[in-house]
Amino acid sequence: MTYTLTRAEEAAPADERYPLGERQRVEEDPMKQQIHRNVFTGKLEEVLNSAVNWGRKNSLWPYNFGLSCCYVEMTTAFTAPHDIARFGSEVIRASPRQADFMVIAGTCFIKMAPVIQQLYDQMLEPKWVISMGSCANSGGMYDIYSVVQGVDKFLPVDVYVPGCPPRPEAFLQGLQLLQDSIQEERRPLSWVVGDQGVYRADMPSQREKNRDRRIQATELRTPDSI
Amino acid sequence: MSVATFSPDSTIADDSIVDALKQRFGDQAVLEQSTLTGMLVLWVSREILTEALSLLRDMPEPFEMLYDLSAIDERLRANRHGLPDSAFTVFYQLMSIRRNRDVMLKVALHEDDLTLPTSVSLYPNANWYEREVWDMFGIDFRGHPHLARLLMPPTWNGHPLRKDHGARATEFDPYTLTVEGQDIEQEALRFKPEDWGMQREQGDTEFMFLNLGPNHPSAHGAFRIVLQLDGEEIIDCVPDIGYHHRGAEKMGERQSWHSYIPYTDRVDYTGGVMNNFPYILAVEKLAGIQVTERAQTIRIMMAELFRISSHLLFLGTYLQDLGAMSPVFYTFTDRQKAYEVIEAITGFRMHPAWFRIGGVAQDLPRGWDRLMQGFVDWMPARLREYERSMMENAIVRERTRHIAAYTTREALAWGVTGPNLRATGCDFDLRKQRPYSGYEQFDFEVPLGGNGDAFDRGQLRIEEMRQSLRIIQQCIDHMPAGDYKADHPLTTPPPRERMLQHIETLITHFLQVSWGPVLKPNESQQMIEATKGINSYYLTSDGNTMSYRTRIRTPSFPHLQQIPSVMRGGFVPDLIAHLGSIDFVMADVDR
Repeated sequence: MTYTLTRAEEAAPADERYPLGERQRVEEDPMKQQIHRNVFTGKLEEVLNSAVNWGRKNSLWPYNFGLSCCYVEMTTAFTAPHDIARFGSEVIRASPRQADFMVIAGTCFIKMAPVIQQLYDQMLEPKWVISMGSCANSGGMYDIYSVVQGVDKFLPVDVYVPGCPPRPEAFLQGLQLLQDSIQEERRPLSWVVGDQGVYRADMPSQREKNRDRRIQATELRTPDSI
Repeated sequence: MSVATFSPDSTIADDSIVDALKQRFGDQAVLEQSTLTGMLVLWVSREILTEALSLLRDMPEPFEMLYDLSAIDERLRANRHGLPDSAFTVFYQLMSIRRNRDVMLKVALHEDDLTLPTSVSLYPNANWYEREVWDMFGIDFRGHPHLARLLMPPTWNGHPLRKDHGARATEFDPYTLTVEGQDIEQEALRFKPEDWGMQREQGDTEFMFLNLGPNHPSAHGAFRIVLQLDGEEIIDCVPDIGYHHRGAEKMGERQSWHSYIPYTDRVDYTGGVMNNFPYILAVEKLAGIQVTERAQTIRIMMAELFRISSHLLFLGTYLQDLGAMSPVFYTFTDRQKAYEVIEAITGFRMHPAWFRIGGVAQDLPRGWDRLMQGFVDWMPARLREYERSMMENAIVRERTRHIAAYTTREALAWGVTGPNLRATGCDFDLRKQRPYSGYEQFDFEVPLGGNGDAFDRGQLRIEEMRQSLRIIQQCIDHMPAGDYKADHPLTTPPPRERMLQHIETLITHFLQVSWGPVLKPNESQQMIEATKGINSYYLTSDGNTMSYRTRIRTPSFPHLQQIPSVMRGGFVPDLIAHLGSIDFVMADVDR
């Protein structure tokens, strides 16, 4: 598996573009280097890492942040019929300082972008971003003067959920994909242990993974009956 | 208040208005334009505009509401026979509740002198409309209290709705945000009380300025309001909008008449096909299409189902804003049930874009009536439960009774429509007063409030849901047989069965679907009673496959503008109760 390494941010120069921080591709699992150094501590670190990641991924607290239509479907995922509590993410936080991840649910406007950046900066590490819906993914059907063509123009995005708006089930799937990727992450276990950087696993593309199965469907149900 | 019956052809009432204006300003001062808008459209000169507006506002059976105010960039318009020379035309649409009539005044402006006198002293809600016209067209309003940008960021260059301004984001350089740019933008958004004529202190009191939004759990989206506080008391407040401007009007100038339908869904995004309604009806007026009874009834049924779904969202979030955690879980369960029906019929949940020019996208599927009946049977007991557990709850009553109350007169002066107007006791529902699409054949009542307070606005919507259920029940019982699409050459897409008959029908079909239908040059407008108030599309066709100008008048825009006049002297928790009771979504404000 290949990884992308992000280091903790130093003070950024004024002309630096968002997203901040230098990203570096790493071919080899940093954990393996540890194992080469010492078999016993290597194993211990692996166990610790897995345990911490397991804890992180199963109690992700979302930030109560919404922009447009997608937010309604996101909220629907929080309520009884879809019950996001099954995945440990029902603790909605009104303050970014208490939240683990932010869902960009809706259109990202040029007037709103600096505000979104401010709110993202106020979240504490470890933090993740889900881009929900076509507008946040790429601008979608709004190729118009007031809309940023995708939130990844200034925020680092972990998971993209397609749809306009995506169904609540799609959002829940996106959340589970984020959980899978958190399980594979490598973060420093302490400020004195190991490499001080965040290694994010490059997760497989869902489109490529599911393509063979999806093209098996050749006959679609007619809309003539319910 | 008694309301006259509305008929689009009644010209006698209109004649008296024209006579009154001509008597005052002379025969030459007023030019009548014939359109398909169903209202009197008059051109007046800039010099007499203010006097003409005040004459109409103060006449017996007055035009008490400034319903809409916007502009058209006429510089590229080819078909303007008989109209005054104009580079930019500003229009004022006035509404009279007693007459049940509208009148539109148009003023021609030349490129070297884009100024007009402000109308804020006549109609208080002209304030934001004039700011919007300045923002979008660069037309100056002399004497305006604070002519600043409304929708675009304060650092923006240019006026987007001018024809020479780019439309697509991809025509500009890709968006980047630098650390320095972030600081500049944040600084530009900083609220400076002095700009708004506000004092930082008075006597011994030092005011606190509280910034609520653009992201706040009770602000229902990207809405910002700055409060001037003395302790808990709101001395004044300034709503700030534009964080949700998706350029829907500019979008209309580049999408074909047909392919613009999905964009209407996303204007009031809780309203679904309700948004297709005014647009499609306005296009059908331009095209001269008479739709079948079955299509009309299907449209009404789906629109009312979305009204219920939207009101359920309102009810859950309104009570949650008041601090009640559980209702939102119950109402969203009901919404899920509504979506099951909507999805079975239209194939999508929130934005089906299901209405078509000349009909609907497809016929009702087999078994739709059983599904719909299931929902209609499910709801009444739930609504009763909400009333008992919430609206009869002492805490909810204390929090909302006599809070943020306003009178019918104030509501009309601020352009308030829909349930928020009816909560003041004004019986004005377009489904009754100006029936469209066959509403006159349905048996239902228009619920009214008495106090115009936050409680009435909540209670009234529960009652409205009951009436919508009655309408849907009548649709189930009496669904007419027949086609779901009109037999007309401009129906889009044309009937598929005819496509493969011979080459001529194939060519027509191909052109209609790829380029879209061409509509004759004219202007039309249709208002409907949408989920949140009166929503209308004012379309100008220049004989093309696209609209020349699409003006969307949304109900939530004036509702938000009214907030300061209602909240002065209130407390912060009252503001939250009021925001919950307005029922707005930001896309319906900023478009």
